[in-house]
Amino acid sequence: MSRSYDRALTVFSPDGHLFQVEYAGEAVRKGTCAVGVRGKDVVVLGVEKKSVLQLQDPRTVRKVVMLDDHVCLAFAGLTADGRVLIDKARIECQSHRLTVEDPVTVEYITKHIAGIKQRYTQSGGVRPFGISTLIVGFDPHDTRPRLYQTEPSGIYSAWKANAIGRSSKTVREFLEKNHKDDLTRDETIKLTVKSLLEVVQTGAKNIEISVMEGYGKVTNLALAEIEAIVAEIEREKEAEAERKRSRLAATAAGQAAMSSRAEETGASDAPVQ
Amino acid sequence: MNTLVQRFSTTSAQSEINKAKALAADDQDFDDFAWGSEAGFGTIAKGVPTFSLPAVPDPRAFLRLHTDDHADPNCRIKIQHGTTTLAFRFKGGVIVAVDSRATAGSYIASGTVKKVIEINPYLLGTMAGGAADCQFWETYLGMHCRLHELRNRERISVSAASKYLSNLVYNYKGMGLSMGTMICGWDKTGPSVFYVDSDGTRLKGNLFSVGSGSTHAYGVLDQGYHWDLSDEDAQELGRRSIYAAGHRDAYSGNTCNLYHIKEDGWHFIGNYDISKMHYEGPGNVPGSENVGYGYDVRVVGRSSANPPPSAPTPVVAA
Amino acid sequence: METSFAITGKGYVIVAADTTASRSIIKMKTDEDKVKTLSPHLLMAYSGEPGDTVHFAEYVERNIRLYQIRNLYPLRPSAAAAWIRRALATSLRSRSPYSVNLLVGGYDTASHDPHLYWIDFLGTMTEVPFAAHGYGAYFALSLLDRYHDPEASLEDGLIALKRCIRQVEERLVVTPGKYKVKVVSKDGIQEIDL
Repeated sequence: MSRSYDRALTVFSPDGHLFQVEYAGEAVRKGTCAVGVRGKDVVVLGVEKKSVLQLQDPRTVRKVVMLDDHVCLAFAGLTADGRVLIDKARIECQSHRLTVEDPVTVEYITKHIAGIKQRYTQSGGVRPFGISTLIVGFDPHDTRPRLYQTEPSGIYSAWKANAIGRSSKTVREFLEKNHKDDLTRDETIKLTVKSLLEVVQTGAKNIEISVMEGYGKVTNLALAEIEAIVAEIEREKEAEAERKRSRLAATAAGQAAMSSRAEETGASDAPVQ
Repeated sequence: MNTLVQRFSTTSAQSEINKAKALAADDQDFDDFAWGSEAGFGTIAKGVPTFSLPAVPDPRAFLRLHTDDHADPNCRIKIQHGTTTLAFRFKGGVIVAVDSRATAGSYIASGTVKKVIEINPYLLGTMAGGAADCQFWETYLGMHCRLHELRNRERISVSAASKYLSNLVYNYKGMGLSMGTMICGWDKTGPSVFYVDSDGTRLKGNLFSVGSGSTHAYGVLDQGYHWDLSDEDAQELGRRSIYAAGHRDAYSGNTCNLYHIKEDGWHFIGNYDISKMHYEGPGNVPGSENVGYGYDVRVVGRSSANPPPSAPTPVVAA
Repeated sequence: METSFAITGKGYVIVAADTTASRSIIKMKTDEDKVKTLSPHLLMAYSGEPGDTVHFAEYVERNIRLYQIRNLYPLRPSAAAAWIRRALATSLRSRSPYSVNLLVGGYDTASHDPHLYWIDFLGTMTEVPFAAHGYGAYFALSLLDRYHDPEASLEDGLIALKRCIRQVEERLVVTPGKYKVKVVSKDGIQEIDL
């Protein structure tokens, strides 16, 4: 009997869970990692790219997409679900312009996407969207960067920096430790790459970075640029490690010196005894 | 029609109607009183209002048959038509001025109509055409502006509000709505004025006048208008233009209501009797010289007679 | 008395429309832009029933934009014109058809040539070297039959346009007044002050 609670989506389990919705969260945790970081007047999206098969055209695999001139979205989870949701969001962006003339605000489209997701947790005969999204952008007539997250349940929230997908917890903890307010453009990009490197072992070729620097200004970093940043991070890590090693060596040497002096003094003491 | 965007959209008026139909079907499970008062509109929960239409093949022709007093002066329903309304944008905000006469055919139904509809503290709408249509739809617009405010945590722009109204009435195009209105207000972009009518036309502009007296109002307004008017001069221009229409147009008159929209919202400036303005002027108000606007008053003592220079007046001998 | 003209030339299309918005005998506005930019290389001039015109034009604009966002490249002029014609033809049999006349001009960046389509409110479409809608058509078409040159430079194209405008001013009872003129070429869209 109890098994039927996770069959019908719209039925609560006795302890108040909607199992299908929670399983959708699992699908997200299996997806590739995506990171969003907000700087002073820039917002950056970074995603982990799955390795492309040898004969596959990499241009057909996209994880960061434009919803409108000023809103970008990255997702983690079931790619096919993402495509459908993205299309709904794009239609809403144009529809909003058609009805009220103004472009959507980032919060509006986030709320709309979250609304669609919520509907799919409360209707019969459907299953929830197996994706989480990070939505970044700038509101019309405004210079503040925005970053929002949505979850399969339909929850949405604003963030300074956040990660979704595989190992998102590790990355979020890394971001919590390293994020500062008012990051510059370069610092923001670097933090994004650095946090992604926590989970992406294969380096630059599996990272995709999109930078948004104002209303309608989006650039995707070329592989060479990402490689340069990764190299720089590696160098810093190397230097850090080097410093650590030399510090360790120094302490070791110090200790050695101390003990040897102790021995010496011990030796010199000996005749006195 | 309107596949793609409209079929899927959730904000367009058409989809509001679709949603309304779906919701109305859904809501039958719940009693209306469960939702509390609906302020007489009964539409908040159900989207766009739905009306009972006369059971005739072409409602528009039916309506015209019974309301068109030009074609048939004996028609049974006479819709209130004649009006003068105007609104213009200048450096100090927006001036909105209207008359207050309501006519039904050749009968003056009222001389104290409020033709400015206070949508919210930052938005005004004017009323020309069918009084009921304007009053209903602009009040309805007001409710949606408030909902927009609550949903988006910022005031609706004048552009969006006017577009909302334009989309609404466009959905009823050809069904006999009659309204010509100006949606005026102050938002993030400063003062703005939009003209919206029941054809679905929506124009952004600096200066509009609508109604049977609009040509007379334009005559004074266009000549006196420029962007850098002072607040007082702008108010005086609005008054004078409405006076001109009230004087010349039989379907406009009685009094003039004047509003000024500034950054902090609209202010009601005053109500002026048009006959009194003709003979005595608007009273002691800023911008006015407090003399009658009437032609006779203005030119009193002046004459176009051009007699030949007469012989020097004879000196009467003592 | 709405009037719009469009003329193709060597690597460009000029699209021009008057700027008056009128209601009965009154000009409500004299600087209304009735030439819409649909995509980086596509222009559309619209005229007809007030209300329908703007609503239809915006509807087209948003759908063309949606196509570009979905597919990352815009529709080519011929495809866009076909889509627009179809939208109009579908509405023709509906309860309230759009009555809008259109001139769609675009530059095809793939085949490097300008295209101009004349579309009327019944859903007729034809590709033409020059076109006009409104009362202006009665004066301009014969004039352009005589003076149009498919290899004209932009300057010469604009001279031909000015001929049309002057002719209408001279012979039409109520002249439309000012015009909004836009040109689409390989470099995109550019507005021209006559």
